[in-house]
Amino acid sequence: MRMNRLSSRLRASAVPALLLVLLALTVPGLAVADDDRSEVNQWLERLAPALNMTSYRGVFVYARGDQVHSMQIAHRYRDGVVEERLVMQDGGSGEIVRRGVNVVCVLPDRGRIRLDQVIPSGPFAEAFTSQLMPVSRWYSAEMVGEDRVAGYEAVEIALRSRDEYRYSHRLWLERTTGLLVKSHVRTLSGDVMEQFQFTSLEITENIPDEEFEIRTEGREISRSLATDDGGAEASPVSRMNGWELGWRPDGFAPAAAPRAGRGQVVAFSDGLAAFSVFVEPAGRLNMPKGASRIGATTIYMHALESGGREFLVTVVGEVPPATARRVAESVRVQDTLALEGNGS
Amino acid sequence: MDDRLRETLSAMMDDEADELSVRRLLSHHDQARVRDQWQRWQQVRDLMHSGHTPAEGVDVSANVRAALDGRSGMARHRASAKGASPSSRWRWPAVAMVAVALVVGFGAGAGWDSREGSATAGAPEIAAQAVPESDVAAAPVREVTLQGLDEEQWEQMSQYLLEHAQHNSVGAGRGAVGYARVVSAGNGY
Repeated sequence: MRMNRLSSRLRASAVPALLLVLLALTVPGLAVADDDRSEVNQWLERLAPALNMTSYRGVFVYARGDQVHSMQIAHRYRDGVVEERLVMQDGGSGEIVRRGVNVVCVLPDRGRIRLDQVIPSGPFAEAFTSQLMPVSRWYSAEMVGEDRVAGYEAVEIALRSRDEYRYSHRLWLERTTGLLVKSHVRTLSGDVMEQFQFTSLEITENIPDEEFEIRTEGREISRSLATDDGGAEASPVSRMNGWELGWRPDGFAPAAAPRAGRGQVVAFSDGLAAFSVFVEPAGRLNMPKGASRIGATTIYMHALESGGREFLVTVVGEVPPATARRVAESVRVQDTLALEGNGS
Repeated sequence: MDDRLRETLSAMMDDEADELSVRRLLSHHDQARVRDQWQRWQQVRDLMHSGHTPAEGVDVSANVRAALDGRSGMARHRASAKGASPSSRWRWPAVAMVAVALVVGFGAGAGWDSREGSATAGAPEIAAQAVPESDVAAAPVREVTLQGLDEEQWEQMSQYLLEHAQHNSVGAGRGAVGYARVVSAGNGY
């Protein structure tokens, strides 16, 4: 009896002791993981503001699939206004100059010019950057270490996709400002599908006004990023007029996007990746159905019949082909008339 | 610098330029510009192949000239099939002339593939690559090769790419990457 009581008392005291030992062993590990996570989050929170509020000049290279582009950029943030000038380094001599919401685009005066499509024309700057997406819910974030990019010390962050519906990303942020100086979009197995990197960079407040002046001669086209109809743009969901999405990967929320000529397009973003869904009546042009890819970008086209009418659903985004297909196939047309009215 | 000289520069990088073209390039009046272009492409190529051999400040023109004059092995005179039929190899300038959206693109360098190192140049040849198995969640996704599209279809496809890139640009959390996507999409057809 006494023995029993003794053993049960021993057991009773051993259990918490064991728990304490276990806790003592695991807590430092947990604390390190927490520290790492909070450090990653702090860096990610700096990402969006740093893109606008850092002043810098440099040259960057962007590659996806077989395409490689090199661009010179000057970016200044002064008195709450962003000024930016981008000059193409190869091929033609186009340039984009932006001051606040005003964008001027100069193109070499040859060839077929599609300016309406080229100049960013929507209120996305605010829409996206104000969306503080909890990216760590969809990506496991990890500090990889330190690196040097274009002469600057940078921290390297891996954002590994938690599911197969999105790609993984790797970001390099400059140490003192948080400016994105290099990035990769990768498959789950680690293949790089798209990359961006500064090859030369100078982070400086001291960029004279001349560097934001247009120097290329050619056709000038101006555009304002501000919307004409203000509030009407605010709800992207209202533009899913006549159709709905039956499925999308967790975390992808409708994001404000410029009103395109086509009308029926909505962009979705999880804070890092984005895809756009276009729904329109099938025109006279017979588009091939299926997936095409350029680097990390997938274009998936799907034919849909509803109410005796043919529709073309196109999903474009930095998502795997299987995701694009599932999204496209989940589109349901509810009101063919609404679509036909807007879709032309 | 005109397209022809740019072609020569690019062919030199692939070790496929013929002697006459190289001489023409070396006698170009603006050698500084030629050198800049060469160095930039070299830099990009190094970057794409994760190399660490910055070409900055290196002027190879004197050596090339010497090699040409001395007929040494450096400037191999290759009358390869590609060199002999520039119209097939350099289909891109014609396409680019029609296609300029925002940039004429990376020009002769457009053919460098960062992963496979393939040297097929040409804007419309950004073929749909094979979909890796790891991407495919369930059934295989039907693939459409961009090469097979006719001009109208390609134009339509580019429009989708452009519009999507716009959604991504300026403030999609990626700043310059968004711009680059717009430019890249605009260049593709």
